[in-house]
Amino acid sequence: MKKMIAWIDARFPLTHFIKHELTDYPTPRNLSYWWGFGFLAGFVLVIQLVTGIFLAMHYKADSNLAFDSVQHIMRDVNYGWLIRYLHSTGASAFFAVIYIHMARTLYYGSYRRPRELLWWTGQGLLLLMMATAFMGYLLPWGQMSYWGATVITNLFSATPIIGDQIVIWLRGGFAVDDPTLTRFFSMHYLFPFLISAAAVIHLIALHTVRSSNPSGLNLSDKDNIPFHPYFTIKDLFGLGVFMLVYFGIVFFDPELVIDVTNNIPANPMQTPADIVPEWYFLPFYAILRAVPDLIGGVVAMALSVLIFAALPYLDRSRISGGAIYRPVYRTMFYVFIVDIFVLGYVGAHPPESVLKVVGEVATAIYFSTFLLLPFLSRWEEGYLLKRGLPVEVMEMTQKEIEEAR
Amino acid sequence: MNHFRLWALFASLACTMNGTALAAGDKAAILQRGAHVATEVCNACHSLKYLKYSDFLKLGFTKQQVDVMRGDRNMGDPLIAQMAPGDALAAFGIVPPDLSLMAKAREGGVGYIDSMITGFYTAANGNTDNHVFPGIKMPDILGISQADPTSRKALLVKAEDVSTFLGWAADPMAESRENLGYAVMAYVFVLTVLLYLLKRKIWKRLE
Ligand code: HEC
Repeated sequence: MKKMIAWIDARFPLTHFIKHELTDYPTPRNLSYWWGFGFLAGFVLVIQLVTGIFLAMHYKADSNLAFDSVQHIMRDVNYGWLIRYLHSTGASAFFAVIYIHMARTLYYGSYRRPRELLWWTGQGLLLLMMATAFMGYLLPWGQMSYWGATVITNLFSATPIIGDQIVIWLRGGFAVDDPTLTRFFSMHYLFPFLISAAAVIHLIALHTVRSSNPSGLNLSDKDNIPFHPYFTIKDLFGLGVFMLVYFGIVFFDPELVIDVTNNIPANPMQTPADIVPEWYFLPFYAILRAVPDLIGGVVAMALSVLIFAALPYLDRSRISGGAIYRPVYRTMFYVFIVDIFVLGYVGAHPPESVLKVVGEVATAIYFSTFLLLPFLSRWEEGYLLKRGLPVEVMEMTQKEIEEAR
Repeated sequence: MNHFRLWALFASLACTMNGTALAAGDKAAILQRGAHVATEVCNACHSLKYLKYSDFLKLGFTKQQVDVMRGDRNMGDPLIAQMAPGDALAAFGIVPPDLSLMAKAREGGVGYIDSMITGFYTAANGNTDNHVFPGIKMPDILGISQADPTSRKALLVKAEDVSTFLGWAADPMAESRENLGYAVMAYVFVLTVLLYLLKRKIWKRLE
């Protein structure tokens, strides 16, 4: 065995890699369970890949057969129901885990220097995931699949001049139809591999700048501990808790994440009473609808996702640490989270009278959080420096300010 | 999202604790009676295409009983409607929707079907209408709008039977899924507790 490893090591940095990136990888000892969600995201990605590959063995990407083939999977394929529910629940689990992962990044300011690239690769991952989920949702060829794809592809008609052509190009025809289904299936199979590659890039970036930690301070070497066994076991325990929730849904309420309307086969002649996207798109959908004209709505929706990328520059405070030492930032964080839930609620309901106004106000709050951040963060910095901070934080902050000069 | 199912789960848990849950035998009897109503009444107009006649064997019917239900159709055949879709379209102005996934395709599921087929009444103008689905093109097939109080009671039972059966038809794997679920949850729970203890033990080394 030893000889074999030596043989490999002479030709490939196996031991070095495992030591460097896993067993001895220095990790801040104070990481809380909120730092476990990245690992969970990787785990769900694997679930989605494996179940997806098995689903594709039985699924028929043909508008006449797709819906029935899903029922074939549910009823005739051995444990087909399990594979399908793991996959449909897995999609929601993926977004839940990623959103928590992002919320942690926001709260602790983990996107700040020097982690900008880490944050942006994460953004890229989110966009890829959204595209994958959107295309995957067409595949069961239910009513909501069909009309959701129709509404969303139609948004591209907002592109100046060539808008209509783009919509036709995306759909492979004038309306969502068989060509749309087959190309979405093909892309839905491809994208997870792009996600896997992007995840590797995300990890390389992470291992270059190292994990942030709850204190937000750069830790000295003695505060770092090897990833294995401390965080392997911590992450595995977190995984156990995650699986209890995930399997609870898969086995006891799997249709929780499936809209009843999607159990009706797609019917191009009949629009459902209201077209509601999956829960993970609801806040963005609410923003889309809050702006009265199509182009404005599409731009607002795109911005609502992309604006996160600007955070490292919008947050101009040099106080070390995330929300812990920053009362103003902390308040903004909580307002923002509540606002997202409000937007989600609005997105799930027809935009009538009061809700319409609520949606508009919540959209305004959403964007003002970002736009006010440069001013509030600087003001907060001055205020906190005057009032005094814990010594270590003060020192780090002063160093930051020096460096910035 | 189908919040209804979550509530149904809580309700059934509550019933289990109250001891009001149906005994397994009762449930089997209901499903068998419902299967009769579905094949003898509903299947005249509606298909239940995701069910095969052989699926009835899973409900405890004997092969002979299923032979009677299927008539000249084969054991492996899906339950397509007795009435040809074209004839149905001519008669009702709409092809009656497939029923085998219906309990998952409406908000409210089984409860919705039950209240819809018992929701027929005679309106002031003498026409039959439906409380749950006004203007429905399906006739009052159980005759609930004409029923007197005694016959009504029997019809309500019939409606509940067939709705329960349609609930099964939409999710025939539910029972095996939940049974497997208990085992998986127990396994993961024990595993998680062990992982937690191990985590505590390993992290002690740092002190
Ligand atoms: C005489 C033909 C006929 C029979 C028999 C029949 N139905 Fe229907 N059913 C229809 C038609 C027609 C529709 C379509 C109604 C519409 O969309 O307006 C329908 C629709 C339905 C719907 C869907 C309602 C909705 O929300 O869209 C359900 C559920 C239903 N039937 C249940 C049953 C059940 C259960 C039985 C057996 C007890 C049954 N039907 C027997 C003709 C029939």
